[in-house]
Amino acid sequence: MPVAAHHIVATPPPFDAPPYPADIFAGQTVLVTGGGSGMGLAMAKAFAQGGADVAVMGRSIERAAEGAAEIAALGVRTHAMSCDVRLPEAVAAAFDEAEAALGPIALLANNAGANFPVLAEDISANAWNAVTRIAIDGTFLCSTEFARRRIARGAGGAIVNNSAQYIWTGFPGDAHSAAAKTAQATMTRKLAADWAPYGIRVNAIAAGFFPHASSTAGNREGGIEPLQNMIPAGRTGSIWEFGWLSAMTCTSIFGAMTGQVIVQDGGESLRRSLMMPDYVPPRERADGPWGWK
Amino acid sequence: MSGWLAGKRVAIEGDSPAITKAFEAAGATLVDGEADIWVHVAPPSAIKPAHDLTHAEWRASMEAGLDRRFLGAKDFAANCRARGQGGAILFVGAPEQALGADQAAAGGALSNLTKTLGVEWARDGVRVNSILTHETGETLGHLAAYLASDYAAYVTGAVMGIALDD
Repeated sequence: MPVAAHHIVATPPPFDAPPYPADIFAGQTVLVTGGGSGMGLAMAKAFAQGGADVAVMGRSIERAAEGAAEIAALGVRTHAMSCDVRLPEAVAAAFDEAEAALGPIALLANNAGANFPVLAEDISANAWNAVTRIAIDGTFLCSTEFARRRIARGAGGAIVNNSAQYIWTGFPGDAHSAAAKTAQATMTRKLAADWAPYGIRVNAIAAGFFPHASSTAGNREGGIEPLQNMIPAGRTGSIWEFGWLSAMTCTSIFGAMTGQVIVQDGGESLRRSLMMPDYVPPRERADGPWGWK
Repeated sequence: MSGWLAGKRVAIEGDSPAITKAFEAAGATLVDGEADIWVHVAPPSAIKPAHDLTHAEWRASMEAGLDRRFLGAKDFAANCRARGQGGAILFVGAPEQALGADQAAAGGALSNLTKTLGVEWARDGVRVNSILTHETGETLGHLAAYLASDYAAYVTGAVMGIALDD
């Protein structure tokens, strides 16, 4: 059903009106993992709107290069790289490559993740390892590589992690991602404590549904239109407002903020009542209207 | 930040110089009456062991940290509905476990109230968020202005702190 005409839907300013000046990150380089597409690309563009040069890391160099070209169109320097964030040596080599191309990495956005709805009993060991290790080990390895370099330089920095709205509730039908995204959020608080003495801030955005070309839930008949009314805010998120909040946590505007996990989901994760539609186990709704096939 | 709140009227109840300064810098007009944004800042209650709190002290903390916030929010949201316009509510106070048992009760109640009202009034275009923090400086003001602005249009029912011990 469409959102009723008498409902009021709050909307953000357009993409070309970011909430910070165009030079707020001037002279700084950000490394965005999984920055070639989707939410990572939105983060990368938001940093670029603040004047940051952008190192785009992806599993696929082709996709990273495509994203880098879109980011470069905003008027900043970019460098595209391929890297498997599960491998510490590969992460170190990618940081070396990015710093050789663009200078010291002063900001880090951990976005790399794989996610696909699947019944828990159908998650293979390989699938479990892929989803959990890209998000959990990848965030750990990229963050520690970043922090060691910042500490060695005697310089602070900022990290933002892309977590998810379902981290406090569980996510039946997506067990690997439920585990992985919560680990990212809970490690955020501890990393922030460990690195506060070095002036390195760490925050996370627990993101709701921000449709983009590669999001699973948007790939259905009728597109995302039928999904708007499911969300208390009356709409899915605009991907640039996610990018902006992510980048904002790394600005001097929020200079004292660290260890925070900010939920940005239009109220989606809070929607409930004591009387709800009948519970249907994921395996019995995979083919139904609320399934994913 | 300039322009975040251009043309918006904000009513601030309670005292936070950082928030007042940030809202003015963001272009908002401070008003006493009808407003587009309502901010409630609760004063910190005294830190006392629970067995030294009188019922009168307990009640005063509940009234300042919880009851007045609900009743003020209810009035604000009713005015928004009457005008047919959305709005933003922001509660500011100490972290739940930062003071005494009175704040632990009021802060926890406020958190779940925030989550509840954020959803209950979502389709009125009224957003409801909380900052529970020890911080009183610039970042508090900036974060408050952000949450009140259209840049936070997709943030509602959110409870957040600022620093590590929040």
